[in-house]
Amino acid sequence: MTSTDAASRARFDVRAFATTARGTLRPELQLEAYEASQLSPDAVHLLRYLGRLESATMEQLRNLLVTATHKDARVTAFLVTWAFEKFWIADAIDQILVANGSVGAQVGDEGAARADRSESAERRGPIRRAILAMGQGVPLTGVHMTAGLIDEWVMDTAYERLDALAAHPTLSVTLGTIRSIKSRHESFFAEEARRRLAESPKTVKQATSQLAHAAWPIGAVDRSDTDRTFFEQTVFGGADGLQRATTIGHRVAELPGLTPQTGDAVARKLRS
Amino acid sequence: MAFDVDKYTATSVSVNWDDLDLERFREHPLPEGSLRTLRYMADVEYHTVCYTRDLLTTPSHKEAEMGAFMTMWNREEFWHGEALATVLGIHGINVDFDELKAKRLKLGWRDKFDPIKQSVIGKVVGADFVAVHMAWGAANEWSAITAYNRMAALEQDPVLAELLKRIAKQEARHVAFYTSQARERLAKSTKAQKFARFALSNFWAPVGSSIMEKNEVKHVMGHLMGGVEGRKAARKIDTAISGLPGLEGLTIVDDSLNALGV
Repeated sequence: MTSTDAASRARFDVRAFATTARGTLRPELQLEAYEASQLSPDAVHLLRYLGRLESATMEQLRNLLVTATHKDARVTAFLVTWAFEKFWIADAIDQILVANGSVGAQVGDEGAARADRSESAERRGPIRRAILAMGQGVPLTGVHMTAGLIDEWVMDTAYERLDALAAHPTLSVTLGTIRSIKSRHESFFAEEARRRLAESPKTVKQATSQLAHAAWPIGAVDRSDTDRTFFEQTVFGGADGLQRATTIGHRVAELPGLTPQTGDAVARKLRS
Repeated sequence: MAFDVDKYTATSVSVNWDDLDLERFREHPLPEGSLRTLRYMADVEYHTVCYTRDLLTTPSHKEAEMGAFMTMWNREEFWHGEALATVLGIHGINVDFDELKAKRLKLGWRDKFDPIKQSVIGKVVGADFVAVHMAWGAANEWSAITAYNRMAALEQDPVLAELLKRIAKQEARHVAFYTSQARERLAKSTKAQKFARFALSNFWAPVGSSIMEKNEVKHVMGHLMGGVEGRKAARKIDTAISGLPGLEGLTIVDDSLNALGV
């Protein structure tokens, strides 16, 4: 693509996104279809885990807002609608879980978190995050956007895998809707990440350093070890899973300034 | 009565102004002083997500109910900003994200330290800090409703009045959330009451004070809360605040107006 093409391509319209935000999905879930044909235990397990991740927007927002990212009014405007859409995605997942004889994704004790020292950076509380962010400044927003983009790739792969695993026509329709809602989030993150990585060597440096150890999907460090292992094995385990992880790794490596080593690190982390 | 978060999320909508004839402002423009106040209000509404940051540094963000409320609250306030920006746009005043960003960048070091300060206090005070945030939020939302209602009364423009009425109606639900949370949490803990009383009487300032220039704060407070009627409205906010457990007799709004020389 030439630079003229890039410039002429319309910028993601945050206001149009806010205007056309998708709210509740309840009227279109066709929950009665699950009465005759319930989801398998593995599909319920994966769906529950995805629901927990989708509902953790406030934790994610906090981690972003204690840094320079909160000053970028366009990004925060996007995040307001992003959180709203994810709220209703999580709600839809809860409804489906209940219709399958389970309970909402946030109900009950999920078990102990994984003890992995290499992930300590992601377990930082707001104080340490805010202090460290002072030294990182504006380039950190580019890192957030890059992580957001990779997270969308990981989650989309997980939804695709869930669709195949569940083989349930009604769930398939809902997952299609969820993926299409999330594809707009991906568009925003992609545009912001590519631009910021291309413009700033500091963003590239910080992103490379963070992606070497980052756990996926975003928020996984707060989830239980059991659920994480199940997710890694179900979505990225075996030969097919390896292919899925490698594909994401390649996409990471193709981002401006990032290298195949960083792509490999992400792919590796998806499986462990 | 406890606030029903499920009902709130199910009925939360972005404020609508499609049916309002905003184009009439082209022939009947609002006076400059009013536009200045509307601009202030729009900035404050867009800034809500940054206030959310302070709340998120307390243990409150782990509660599902709180998260649900904050998600919808943020979105409603964003749309208030959009509604006011549309009115300003018709008057040739452009409010775009880049400009809001430039304003936030000017906030400097104090703003960088804020989340740290909030987190540290939150850690020291613990769960009672959430009660302080809820009482603070209630004071701010009461101020917002009063400001919108005062603006509608002062301007007497039927279209603007209708738009502001719609915004104020949504703010009323935010007040209901914050007061029900504050009341419940304050009633349970004398330590929370003492801390809230201390924080509000020593640090509270009119909404927007932390992000806007002092001249602007003075203009808006003078415009909306000045004069006999304005001060009467301000005292009503104080009466509401002092109705919360442990906050009897507080006159923070009146005091802040005196300090501003309104």
